Amino acid sequence: MQGRRPAETRWMCLICLIMKWYLVITYISLVVCIAGCLYHVIQIIRHRKTRDFSKSADTVGSAITYSFTKAMNPARKESAYLHVPTYIAGMLYHLGTFLSAVLLFVFLFSIDLYRTIELFISVFLMVSILCGTAILVKRIFSKLLREITVIDDYISNILVTAFQVCTLVYIHFSLPVYYIAASALLLYIPFGKLRHAVYFFAARYYLSLFYGHRGTWPPIKH
Amino acid sequence: MEHLSTHTIEKGLEILRKFDDGRFLTSINSCVHCGLCADSCMYYVSMKENAFIPAKKVALIESIYKRYYTFTGRTFPKLIHAKELNGETTAELIDLFYGACTLCGRCNIHCAIGVDIAYLVSIGRAMLAEMGLTPPTLQSTVDAALTSGNNMRIATDDFVETLKWLEEELRDEVNDPDASIPLNEKDRNLLYTLNPREPKFFPLSISAMAKIFYAARESWTISTHMYDVTNYAFFTGNLNEARIIAQRMLDEVKKLNCRELILAECGHGERAFRWEAPNYLQTNFDFPVRTSVELLAQYIASGRIKVDKTLMKEKVTLHDPCNLVRSGGIIQEQRYILSKTVTDFVEMNPHGADNLCCGGGGGQLSMSEYNERRMKIGELKAEQIKKTGASVVVSPCHNCVDQLLQLNSYYKLRVKIKTLAELVAEALVLE
Repeated sequence: MQGRRPAETRWMCLICLIMKWYLVITYISLVVCIAGCLYHVIQIIRHRKTRDFSKSADTVGSAITYSFTKAMNPARKESAYLHVPTYIAGMLYHLGTFLSAVLLFVFLFSIDLYRTIELFISVFLMVSILCGTAILVKRIFSKLLREITVIDDYISNILVTAFQVCTLVYIHFSLPVYYIAASALLLYIPFGKLRHAVYFFAARYYLSLFYGHRGTWPPIKH
Repeated sequence: MEHLSTHTIEKGLEILRKFDDGRFLTSINSCVHCGLCADSCMYYVSMKENAFIPAKKVALIESIYKRYYTFTGRTFPKLIHAKELNGETTAELIDLFYGACTLCGRCNIHCAIGVDIAYLVSIGRAMLAEMGLTPPTLQSTVDAALTSGNNMRIATDDFVETLKWLEEELRDEVNDPDASIPLNEKDRNLLYTLNPREPKFFPLSISAMAKIFYAARESWTISTHMYDVTNYAFFTGNLNEARIIAQRMLDEVKKLNCRELILAECGHGERAFRWEAPNYLQTNFDFPVRTSVELLAQYIASGRIKVDKTLMKEKVTLHDPCNLVRSGGIIQEQRYILSKTVTDFVEMNPHGADNLCCGGGGGQLSMSEYNERRMKIGELKAEQIKKTGASVVVSPCHNCVDQLLQLNSYYKLRVKIKTLAELVAEALVLE
């Protein structure tokens, strides 16, 4: 009958799909990750700010802008300018993670990468992997960090770094292990500390609400 | 810590559930345990104890919250180090949240993510207060306010007597028999509050403000029934008691029908009434609330009072109270006043919204059990003062003034500590 595939073809498709089982797992993981992150977004919206009865200083709008821009300036943050190597490593590591995440979509949806870009991406990922490893080593050996570290911190760091390593390898050798690493990371995001990817924006928003309402942010130069 | 009853634990957990708002939810889920906040905390910087890292405080309340209210914490507690609320965690909470935090909020500003650490500590304190575990020394200050109307238990007769004496002094000083400190007058422009430390230990700061009001020809009054600007229940975390104290002040403004409430130089008093009380009481205030700092700046800017900056010959520096500056947004006004009243002004480094706490905030001055820590963290402020080379330190907060006086003696700084009103009164030119 026209429009229907013969039984043999349907079986071939199924076999192909089974052979690409790692892709199926990755798609499922992606759906779980998006659903989990959406759950957190809904939680943030559901627990949105409670009414503040005090009289506002009316600088909330500019405080929100300030919170996401100048307040993040490393020159204004002790957490940055007193810890320059860690800060730079952290920034590069995050950029490497975003890059790997973008590449996951590139690979999943078979978008072609130019060779020149591949080289650039590979070098950047190598640097990012080194930064992630350095952060992990620091967490293991620093007495201060061990005091506040939980298993979740190690797992998160290892999963992200492993994902970047596998991305780097996959650019040059298409090994299915890449999809396993991606799936493990995607599944973990909503449950571990990696969900700060969602909460970070809400945290900065709430901080700007507080300081903007009271007139502390944005600061006035004197 | 002794065994806690199930009822006590449930009361504490109920607070965590009740505070399940967006600000709390995001802060409890955002900390990445990077530890970079350590250098922004005076406790960690001065004592280098890992337990004092702000992230450790976040981790503690986070671990309890997640143990009871998240899937991961309930299912895999070890994965995120989720802890039960018991005698051990409670003892840790008391020591870190009451004894190792001034709620200065400096860590908030410098946190790489933007976690509202001070807010989480406040909620931890609210939890402990609900469980009846506030340090007795701090609670006694609140009890004094609740039972006597002011945190120093000053009897009304003694208070009135002090003000009458100050009124006579004022008349002599300005050479005007009609000069007065009006008490319980209705329908005045301003109801002026006081920190009970003023009538008890520093009456000259009341004289200074009275002299300024006289020069400005202000219509003002002080209530003898409710004049205490402080609200230490803000520090204990007991919101019911904070509400009672705030309600009394609100009632007094209404009773005396004054057009504006002026809060004396008190960082936490300003924060507790101007910013927190409307939320304690779930109401918008239908009258303006300002600090005396803003009022003094306005008097000078409008020419309502005349000041001569050449009268102050000494080098002056400014200590910014955390609650007034970081949590109250009053940063420029005190600098404007100083620009008009002193010739040689030098800033501390850092200053403004980035300033270091004096060490006396968060109720630390009331908790004698933590005196040693308080003086130790105050060393950073003492060093800041020394580096300015100033001989006068001004601070628009009586709580800070008290701590600075102790630091002055302990670290042999040999400086004079003054309030802004005292400085303005000294520069005042009476016409």
